[in-house]
Amino acid sequence: MNAPDRYERFVVPEGTKKVSYERDTKIINAASFTVEREDHTIGNIVRMQLHRDPNVLFAGYKLPHPLQYKIIVRIHTTSQSSPMQAYNQAITDLDKELDYLKSAFEERISRKLRRVDMEY
Amino acid sequence: MKKASVMDIPDVPKGQLPPHLELQRTRVLCGSDAPTHSEGIQYSGAYASMGIDNSLRLDDFCNKFRVEIIQLTEDEMEFDMIGIDASVANAFRRILIAEIPTMAIEKILMVNNTSVIADDVLSHRIGLIPLDVDPRLFEYLSGNDSPNERNTIVFKLHVSCKKSGPRITVKSDQLKWLPNGSELEMASPNPSAKPKSYTSFTCSQDSLPEFSNKPIGLKHEDIIVAKLGPGQEIELEAHAIKGLGKTHAKWSPVATAWYRMLPEVVLLEDVEGELAEELVKKCPVNVFEDIEDLATGKKKAVVANPRACTLCRECILKIESTGALPPEVLFSEAVKVLEDKCDRVISELS
Repeated sequence: MNAPDRYERFVVPEGTKKVSYERDTKIINAASFTVEREDHTIGNIVRMQLHRDPNVLFAGYKLPHPLQYKIIVRIHTTSQSSPMQAYNQAITDLDKELDYLKSAFEERISRKLRRVDMEY
Repeated sequence: MKKASVMDIPDVPKGQLPPHLELQRTRVLCGSDAPTHSEGIQYSGAYASMGIDNSLRLDDFCNKFRVEIIQLTEDEMEFDMIGIDASVANAFRRILIAEIPTMAIEKILMVNNTSVIADDVLSHRIGLIPLDVDPRLFEYLSGNDSPNERNTIVFKLHVSCKKSGPRITVKSDQLKWLPNGSELEMASPNPSAKPKSYTSFTCSQDSLPEFSNKPIGLKHEDIIVAKLGPGQEIELEAHAIKGLGKTHAKWSPVATAWYRMLPEVVLLEDVEGELAEELVKKCPVNVFEDIEDLATGKKKAVVANPRACTLCRECILKIESTGALPPEVLFSEAVKVLEDKCDRVISELS
């Protein structure tokens, strides 16, 4: 009865931004990013990629409530980089890795299908 | 007095983790009651005190990453991905189940239903029937659009059981595709005006090049939809649209998709002779194998088939498709969807 509509899990309503950013007043080089209409699928991957960056001191994500479809990603970095930079860098790196994964996979598949064709 | 560098002292490891830590970093161990070390140690500073850089660069990833396809049939695919993290495999699994679009029947216009199956139950069953059509050829139907040949597929079901005849079973092959759109007419307030149909197809779907060779049908012809007794009739029209598994499970393109780590079975001590034979017989999935040790003439058990074991940084992914898209296409689509999500999440503030 109180559950929100299923399409709310991925449709961003008018007026709200997809990603918003809040700097932490008490700690330098720390920020929280609130991403609307996303869940563990993206959150866990971005968190893992942020951990691989040597400039990141702390990275974590959470879903404040399972019926509110948003994630909060918190990043602390060293003074050599800023949370914004770390976040953008992590996502661009992920993009490149996924591109490579896709091309490696497609090459494998085409090789396998060609081999199957040749057998017939 | 000569100053000796710390790195020269023999028991300080140079650039490599001691073997027990390396094991902890790269393998998930199965303890007697639960798996241990299952979180990947991705944090780049984790081994900083030992002077080892744990951060993973893009070139490292490209060098180490490999895909090996174990099995590929029309409906099922099993493959290994070596060198990726569990969170990426999990993301693919989640996307395959919930975020790849498919076509499924959403709207049912009921003309006559005198069977024992209630309208809503019958509609629910028809919605779950998988359709054999490539969803990439269609567009989404949003609230304001009118249904046309680019976003809707129309099916018709008209079965009746003769009063004197035996009971009949309505199977899914009785759903007929209507390439010209809906045949029913909407009730119009103006009696002299031409009645409007529920869908506005500008051309027949038959004439489109994608469908002229391969007409739209269902993946399985023998799904039981309903059973009719004598004198009962079902007449309805079903409209199918594109949607995501997130909205309702009928739009999920896979029967299931799962992943697991490749098991590595290490025998801590040699198992020989009669014990070896026993070990080989005990394993229900033939993980072990006897080999003859030529020197002593005794038999020794060897791990021959670790994959069959049911428990490395390697991941096996298995995808069972319901058939509309072949499994390798599904995975490519999944990678595309993950890339799109990453792009959307990049922040524009600087």
